[in-house]
Amino acid sequence: MNSFSQALDFIGRNGQIPGEPQLPTLVHLTLETIKIAWIGVGIALVIALPIGLWLGHIHRGSFVAINVGNIWRALPSLAVLAIGVAFLGLGLRNVELALIVLAVPPVITNAYVAIDGVDRDVVDAARGMGFNGWQILRKVELPLGVPLIFAGIRTAALFVVSTTTIAALTGYSGSLGDIINNEASYHLSGVLGAAMCIAALALLTDLLLALIQRVLTPRGVSLEKHPARTEAIGPPLAENV
Amino acid sequence: MKRKFIFGIVAAVLGLAVAACGSSSSTNTATHQKTQASQKSAGASKPAITIGDKNFPEEYILGSLYQQALQARGYHVTLKGNIGSSEITYKALTSGQIQMYPEYTGVIVSVLAGNTKPPHSASQTYTEAQAYVQKHGFTLLKPTPFYDTDAMGTLKSYATKHHLHTISDLKALGHSVTLGGAPEFATRYEGLIGLKKVYGVNPTFKPLAIALTYKALDSNQVQVADVFTTDPQLTLGKYTILSDPKNVFGFQNVAPIVKKSLIKSEGPVFEQTLNKVSALLTLDAIRKMNAAVELDKQSPSAVAHDFLKANHLT
Amino acid sequence: MIVFANGPVIPNFGGGGSTFACERANRLFCPNWVSQNWSSVLWPALRQHIVLTVIAVVIGFAISTALALLAYRRGWVERPVVIVTSILYTIPSLALFELLVGVPGLGLSRTTAEVALVSYTLLIMFRNTLTGLREVPAEVRDAAAGMGMGSMRTLLRVDLPLALPAIIAGVRIATVTVISLATVAALIDDEGLGAPILQAISNEVFKTELIVAGGMAIALALLADGLLVLLQRALTPWARVHQ
Repeated sequence: MNSFSQALDFIGRNGQIPGEPQLPTLVHLTLETIKIAWIGVGIALVIALPIGLWLGHIHRGSFVAINVGNIWRALPSLAVLAIGVAFLGLGLRNVELALIVLAVPPVITNAYVAIDGVDRDVVDAARGMGFNGWQILRKVELPLGVPLIFAGIRTAALFVVSTTTIAALTGYSGSLGDIINNEASYHLSGVLGAAMCIAALALLTDLLLALIQRVLTPRGVSLEKHPARTEAIGPPLAENV
Repeated sequence: MKRKFIFGIVAAVLGLAVAACGSSSSTNTATHQKTQASQKSAGASKPAITIGDKNFPEEYILGSLYQQALQARGYHVTLKGNIGSSEITYKALTSGQIQMYPEYTGVIVSVLAGNTKPPHSASQTYTEAQAYVQKHGFTLLKPTPFYDTDAMGTLKSYATKHHLHTISDLKALGHSVTLGGAPEFATRYEGLIGLKKVYGVNPTFKPLAIALTYKALDSNQVQVADVFTTDPQLTLGKYTILSDPKNVFGFQNVAPIVKKSLIKSEGPVFEQTLNKVSALLTLDAIRKMNAAVELDKQSPSAVAHDFLKANHLT
Repeated sequence: MIVFANGPVIPNFGGGGSTFACERANRLFCPNWVSQNWSSVLWPALRQHIVLTVIAVVIGFAISTALALLAYRRGWVERPVVIVTSILYTIPSLALFELLVGVPGLGLSRTTAEVALVSYTLLIMFRNTLTGLREVPAEVRDAAAGMGMGSMRTLLRVDLPLALPAIIAGVRIATVTVISLATVAALIDDEGLGAPILQAISNEVFKTELIVAGGMAIALALLADGLLVLLQRALTPWARVHQ
C-alpha cells in the first residue's frame, strides 16, 4: 500500500515534512505522550491501589468498588476532558486530572476483586499459622491477587495512552495527538504514521506490564480460567477511545 | 410470556429508531423560514445544494448567512458546518461533498494555489484567486467589502515593554519569544514561512487551538499570537496588532467558491442572492456579528437570522 | 431589492451586552444560554447522538452475531476474526476517523462515522456472544439432543437463551463504548454531542456549553448502561448476573 510506505517514510524522517520548517520531532512527541500517560497512571496507582487493596482485605465496600468500575466503563472520555477544561482551563493539569479520573476505577475495582476473592481457606490457614492481618495481605493475598491487579493496571494504562491523543482535541498540544489532529499540515501519511506510533506504544506498554506481572507472579500461582475472575473489568486490551 | 413481550418492545423501539435515522439528517437548517410568498418559489424547483464552512466562528456565521438567504428564496440547502481548515474544506469541495463554501481570497492564492509571489493589492489577489479556481471547475462570486487577515497580536503591555510596532521588531527577540497559532500556521507562507523569509523572524512556535489564542496570550503561554483583524477581542483595548508593511498576510476578502455547473443549474437568483449577502458584509457588520457569537455566545444561525431579517433578506 | 447606500442595517443581536453578562463573564453555568439554545443546539445534538449509537450497535450486533454463530460451528473462524477486530479496536479512534475520511466514497459523512463506530463494537460483541454460546453446559445440550431436538432447534431454544447474559453484557459494553466514541466522531461528521463540545472549544472555551454537553454525554452513557442492566435482569430471571 502506497500510503503505508509513505507513513513509514514519515516515521523514518522523525516526523518532519520536507521543505517545511522545523516541526516538533516524532521522538519528542512520543516521549511527551509517554510522559503524560505515565504521570497519569502513576498518580492513579498511588491513589487507587491502596484503596482497592485495603477494601478487598477487609472485605468491605464491594458495592462501591464494583460499581465505580461499571460507571467508569461508561464515561465518555471527551466529555470528561471537556468538563475538565471548563473547570481547569487549558494545560497539562487539566489533561492529567481527566486521565487520572479515567484510570483510577479499573485499578480500584480489579484490586478489590483480586484481594476479596482470594480463597478464604488459604487466608484462614495463614491466620491459623499466626500471621497477622498485615502479613496476610503482604504474603498471601497480594501474591495471589497479582494477575487480577495487573489486569486492572494494564487496562488503565492502555486506556490512558490512547486517551492522550484526544487531549489534542481539547487544545492541549505536545502529544502525538497533535499530528493526528492536523491532517492539513501532516497529510494522510503523517496521520497514519502517528497512529501507528500510538498503536505501537499501546502494545509496548501492555508488553512491558505483562513482563512485570510475570516477574511479580510467584511460582505456583496459575491464572484460574474463570471468566468472571480474569475479566472483572473488560478485556485487557486497548480499551481505547 | 413476559420475556417475549419485552423482546417485542425492544425490537419496536430499535425499529423506530432505525426508521427515524432516515428522517433525521445531518442538516443544520435554520428554524426560521418566513419569507414573502412571491420570492419563495425561485429556488424551490432547483436541485438541492450542500454548502460548507470552515472551523471558526466567522465562517459559521458566513455559512449560516448564505444558507438562510438561499432558503428564503426557496432553495433546498444543507449546511455542513465546522468541516476543518482551508485545506480540508477545499478537499471536501473538490471531492464533491460540498458544492460551495466561503473562502478568503489570499488563502486561495497562497495556500490552495501555492503561489509564492504574494500579490500587491486586494484586486490582484482576487484576480489570481479567480484564475486558480476557474482552472478547477469553480468560480468565485463577488467579494465582501470586509477583509480578515491574520495579524500578529500581543498584549499591549508586552508591546510597550519591548517597543514593538511592526512585525520586523520581533526579529531581535529571536527564539526567546513564543508564537502561538493554529497548527497549519507552521507550514504556510501566510505563517511561519513568510515571517521567516520576509521579516527574518524566527520564533519558537506553539500550536494552539484557534481561539484559545487570547487565553494563551493572557497567561503568557505565548507572547505573540496569530489573531484575525475581525476578532471582537481586539475591541477590548487589551491587545494590539503589529503592522505588516510587506503584506505577508496578504489581502483577505471573502468570496464564495462555487462549482461552475451550479451557477447554471440553480438559476440567476442563486448568484444574485449570494452577492447581495456579500455586499452587506462590511468590517463593522462582521465585527459586531463576531462579538455576538464569540463574546455573547449566541448561536451563529440566530445571529445570521437577525442580520438577514434586519436587511430584508429573510 | 434596495441596498442601502450607507451600509447594512446592523441589529442589536439578541438584545445587546447586558443580556449576556453571564456569557461574557464565562461563568460555569449560564441557565439563560441553555434555555435559548436547547432546541436549536443541545436537543438536536442529543437526538443525533442517540441515532448514531443505535445504528452502530444494531449493525455491529448483526455482524458480530453472524460471525459468532459461524465460529460456533466452525472453530477455525475465531482466530482470524479476533485478529482483525483486535487490530481495528487498537487503532486510536481519532486516527481511524481521519483515515476513513480519505477512503474514496466515504469522506465527511455520517456513513464514515458509522463505519468506524461499528468496527469498535465487533470485538466485544463477538467475543461475548461466542463465549456465552460455548459456556452452555454440555449436559444441557446432551439433554436437548436426548429429547430429539435437532441442531437448529437446540441453537434457538437452548444455546442462545442460555448465552443471553453474556450476549447482553457484550451489547452493554459496546453501547457505552459507542456513546463515548461518537463524541469524537463529531470531528468528521458535525453531529452528536461532540459537536457542541468541539465548537465550545473552538470559540474561547465556553464553559457552560462544555459542561452541559459533556454532562449530557455522561448522563446518556450512564442511562444506557442502566437500562441495559435492567434489560439483562428482565430477560434472564433464572441466571445469576455476574460480571
